[in-house]
Amino acid sequence: MKRRIIGLLGLALSASLIASACGSDSSSSPDTAATNDTLAIPGTDSSTPTAGGTIHILSQLEQVTHLDPQRNYTGSDLAFVGSTMQRALTSYAYAPGSAGSQLVGDLATDTGTPTEGGKVWSFTLRGGATYEDGSEVTCADIAYGTSRVFATDIIVDGPTYAISYLDIPQDAEGNSNYPGPYTATADQQALFDKAVSCSEDGKTITFTLSRIVADFNYTVTLLAFSPVPKAKDTGEKYDMAPVSSGPYKIESYEPGKSLVLVRNENWSKASDPIRNAYADSFVYEFALDPAVIDERLMADAGDDQYAVGDGGLQPENLQTVFTDDRFKDRRQDDYDPYVSFTAFNVKTVSCVEVRRAVYLGLDREALRTAGGGPYTGDFADGFVKPALADDYAPSKLPEGLNTDGTPNIEAAKAALAEAKTKCPDVYAKATVEGLKFFHPDTPIWQKLVSIWIESLKAVGIVIKPTAVEPSKYYPTVQNDETDYDISRGAWGPDWPNASTMIPELFLTTGGFNLTRNGDDPAYKQFETDTKAALNELDRKAQGKKWQALNQFLVDQLWSIPGTFTKAQDLWGSKVGNAYRWSSSGSFLFGELYVKQ
Amino acid sequence: MTTFIARRLLFALVLLAAVSLFTYLLFALLPTDPAALTCGKNCKPELIAANRVRLGYDKPIYEQYFQFVRGIFAGRTYGTGDIAFTCPAPSLGYSFNQHECVSTLIAKTFPVTAFLSLGAFILWMLLGVGTGTLAALHRGKWQDRLTSVITSIGVSLPTFYVGLLVLFSVVIWLQWLPFPHYASPTENLHDFLTAMILPWITLAVLSAASYTRITRNGVLEAMNEDFVRFGVAKGLKNRTVIRKYVLRAALIPIVTIAGLDFAALLGGAIVTESVFSLPGMGRLAIRSVTDSDLPVLVGTTLVAAVFIVMANTIVDIIYGILDPRVRLK
Amino acid sequence: MNNVPLLSVENLNVEFSTSDGVVHAVNDVSFSVHSGKTLGIVGESGSGKSVTASSILKLNTGITASTSGSILFNGKNILGIDDKAIRAIRGSEIAMIFQDPLSALNPYYTIGSQIIEAYKVHHKGVKKKEARKIALEMLHRVGIPNPEARIDEYPHQFSGGMRQRIVIATALINSPKLLIADEPTTALDVTVQAQILDLMKDIQRENGMAIILITHDLGVVAETCDDVAVMYGGRIVEKASVQELFVTPTHPYSFGLLGAVRSLDNSARGELQTIAGSPPSLLNLPSGCSFLPRCNYADASRQQCGSSVPSLQNVLPTNSLSACHLRAEALNVLKMKEPS
Repeated sequence: MKRRIIGLLGLALSASLIASACGSDSSSSPDTAATNDTLAIPGTDSSTPTAGGTIHILSQLEQVTHLDPQRNYTGSDLAFVGSTMQRALTSYAYAPGSAGSQLVGDLATDTGTPTEGGKVWSFTLRGGATYEDGSEVTCADIAYGTSRVFATDIIVDGPTYAISYLDIPQDAEGNSNYPGPYTATADQQALFDKAVSCSEDGKTITFTLSRIVADFNYTVTLLAFSPVPKAKDTGEKYDMAPVSSGPYKIESYEPGKSLVLVRNENWSKASDPIRNAYADSFVYEFALDPAVIDERLMADAGDDQYAVGDGGLQPENLQTVFTDDRFKDRRQDDYDPYVSFTAFNVKTVSCVEVRRAVYLGLDREALRTAGGGPYTGDFADGFVKPALADDYAPSKLPEGLNTDGTPNIEAAKAALAEAKTKCPDVYAKATVEGLKFFHPDTPIWQKLVSIWIESLKAVGIVIKPTAVEPSKYYPTVQNDETDYDISRGAWGPDWPNASTMIPELFLTTGGFNLTRNGDDPAYKQFETDTKAALNELDRKAQGKKWQALNQFLVDQLWSIPGTFTKAQDLWGSKVGNAYRWSSSGSFLFGELYVKQ
Repeated sequence: MTTFIARRLLFALVLLAAVSLFTYLLFALLPTDPAALTCGKNCKPELIAANRVRLGYDKPIYEQYFQFVRGIFAGRTYGTGDIAFTCPAPSLGYSFNQHECVSTLIAKTFPVTAFLSLGAFILWMLLGVGTGTLAALHRGKWQDRLTSVITSIGVSLPTFYVGLLVLFSVVIWLQWLPFPHYASPTENLHDFLTAMILPWITLAVLSAASYTRITRNGVLEAMNEDFVRFGVAKGLKNRTVIRKYVLRAALIPIVTIAGLDFAALLGGAIVTESVFSLPGMGRLAIRSVTDSDLPVLVGTTLVAAVFIVMANTIVDIIYGILDPRVRLK
Repeated sequence: MNNVPLLSVENLNVEFSTSDGVVHAVNDVSFSVHSGKTLGIVGESGSGKSVTASSILKLNTGITASTSGSILFNGKNILGIDDKAIRAIRGSEIAMIFQDPLSALNPYYTIGSQIIEAYKVHHKGVKKKEARKIALEMLHRVGIPNPEARIDEYPHQFSGGMRQRIVIATALINSPKLLIADEPTTALDVTVQAQILDLMKDIQRENGMAIILITHDLGVVAETCDDVAVMYGGRIVEKASVQELFVTPTHPYSFGLLGAVRSLDNSARGELQTIAGSPPSLLNLPSGCSFLPRCNYADASRQQCGSSVPSLQNVLPTNSLSACHLRAEALNVLKMKEPS
């Protein structure tokens, strides 16, 4: 789930509103009261789920960003669409806590069989799955759905792993020779059909990849590999009226007003061991003012007792919600999938002592307060969030780094002194010329960058800010020509595996490489180790490898870890299963039930 | 009189053509690249280039404008083959964000804004003009002073604040009304009324405040006119003088201002629509800004501009009807 | 013609309360008019002449005015009668026209409808066709050419002189007994002015109505008036017949006015520039004669001028009344002006 843009937006949105919660003791979790009362995960309780009723989802958006499975990318949308209308080859367990990151088969009987070291993957189809019109979901439909990703002019916004992973020839610039099913010639279609093929009996689908992808079975949890019946494909318009293979189907969809889902009569529970489909219907209410959403959830009157919000809470209400006992059974405050960080241009800031000096001397507490306080997140200790249980281990942070986020000027100055002897030109650059900090041109960033300037001035480091128009920020800093020293970003794993974090952020072939670290002497080893981790088929062993690499990154400080961002939610008193699904960082919408 | 109207209409047409060209140019010359906007998050430069060709953004501006205008009269087709689709005339473009022809979007949202504007307009005119006249007629007395205090508050309150306050108190806390879910009056009159009553009141009360003041001043001024005194000297009843002489004189400029305000409202009462979740043109416009949905942005701007031009023309004509002196060549 | 005046104003006082204080606009004013006669009320702006005239028909609207005294019309006091009663008189028994014909007519209605309106107010139940005929006649009478075509036109389509004729037509449609004309010709140029004055005199001859003509223009007074009342500082300072005023003015102010008037053959109007000083404030009236500061004839030792307000007294051998302490000697001092 590619949440880069959403991460940036989420950070910017939550950071751009000043919380009434003043930054108190940052080490205590605001939800201690709740967690001490019951050791249960918020959103779960001991009652058995009941069927029936209507769940309301209150949103400030005008519509669900995409209903077309191949165009779906944000965590929240994937959770919504995936749990109600679109099945995939594999999925994650519908369970709270870390169990929700467990890979299970959905349309496939299990989590797939790799051969050739992970270069070829086969999935046996469970069978019996039907669309809303009663017709059966076939292997060919899955292949067809996957092929739509290649029509990059029409199927936009979705993840393009199919293009990067499948073994289909590409031209010199890296564009696939297969243009997608709408315009492909017979020869071109043949290229695709070779990479994704169905067995004679239609029970097995095989993907031939261009290289080893050890966690391809995780990749296919993305709805980009979901089935689409070719005869019903309407191209651009499919986004408004896709065919459902899940327990619900669309009754009405009016962007700006509502999306109503009702039961798909033709869905069989027998073919779908994952989904429980308790509620009779869902009403997604659009275009609500965020202040209004919060007010309704807090008031908990009438139908709002069966409602959840899809956008978190407004900062000004956080204090009320988390201190008033009224809400204690229907709120949560915990990690979303994102990690924020500050990236150095390792080419120009090639001295780790200088980078360490910045990390030690930066007033991270002030930054967090300015960004909205402790509700926005905890100080990160690396680039892998604890939710990735297999891949996370607490890392050893640089000597002298204050855990409460306050600057350690002494230690920073000491590091800087080291730099003076070890790398005098970078030292001169940092102290005299100044480090060019490229940041988005927003009011909140004006504030944050002045904290950067002030706190590092005390250390002796000069920061030169450059504001970039927000919509052009990533294109600018990702452009090799742009001469910056410091930039920033946030990222979340596309699926619960650090393979979508560490390589993306730090390999030169990664999609989000801001650190330009290819020339660093330590890079070669890092690249080798990372590739080894990527190809490791033993999940546990792979996890250990990621932990080691994470520590390596923290030592190198090519980027400074920022915050493990958090999100807060409130829901109606009669909503069950309102836990945060660890795989998406959102509600598992399709599993919500009405407490009778 | 007919030549007067005819000339106004002709001028309006010319103005509309100029406005359409200007609006189009304004957006065409923006630094944002429309081809990049439709490309999505996984965009590569080659993809943007391909998109540019597909959507016609590579053509020179005058050709793009010509296509645009042609679309208005003849409709426009997008894509090729099985998945092609057409936006019938008058086509103002296609929104890839909302997967819908811009004209359809506007046609869907405009009635909401129109109902909102019309209802609010009637309410605020009655309230504003009525109260203002009363205040003027009882100048200096308690009615006047009370009105002055209330309007001062009303004029300084922002719509957003009042709207939220009204919504919270009436719907969420007191639960006197259900949460507004807009439905067209022909579909579900009950839902329509419950959805519109609060926004009508919010908008009307806030606008009435300034109209009360304008009316009060206008009436007071008119009362000083010589012909008013002459009318009284004829022995006319006070009520008659107020109606035929004072109000007649005072209301003409007010009606024309109101006409223009109404037209501006037709372009979309953005804040009211957002607070009360009304699917109107204002929200459509603001959404197109945040989504960088250029075709919709061009469409809504153009439609709003059309309303202003039309309103100006109509107001001119009405003024000519109401005030004979204006009909001079 | 009988000797009972049609209108008799006695001890009229009009005060306005403003934020600056009480304005004494009209102080102890008395005069009368007989049917068929024209009384001119002369004075500079601020002398109280317009307020006096407006008080007759209770037209001092707006800011609080308190009026005392009596206004006897046909023997009955109309000051302080209720609204319904005064409305019955307005436009039917007593009519009033104002200075600026350009703004006296309602621009939004045709002239015909306005005349008809004035008629219908006092003739309820009359048919439209009937009223229209009467209006047409009136337009014809006041000298509007081609009235059948023009009756449906709007005021702005007429010249200034035409509009004043229409105003007169509107005012006289109900054949009032008294016409109050407040500066009816000031806004018109001289040739038109003469026509309007002639028209008014004509109609007066026809139906014997009385006219009160308010003006600052002595030339107009000489043309049209039988009697004159000169006002200064809210008071009448001289009352005389028109001949006596022009031949033997008995008040220093009148004398000053006349001295300022050039020969009537000149086209220039009387400007009051030669009397040095400015009109008195009506907010704080002095305890003595309000003209004292500008009076060339007051002797400093005449303490009376400074301490008591002179009342109107007959100045022999004329029939004029003058409010001046010096009158006996003044007659000797004031130079008489020979009529040219």
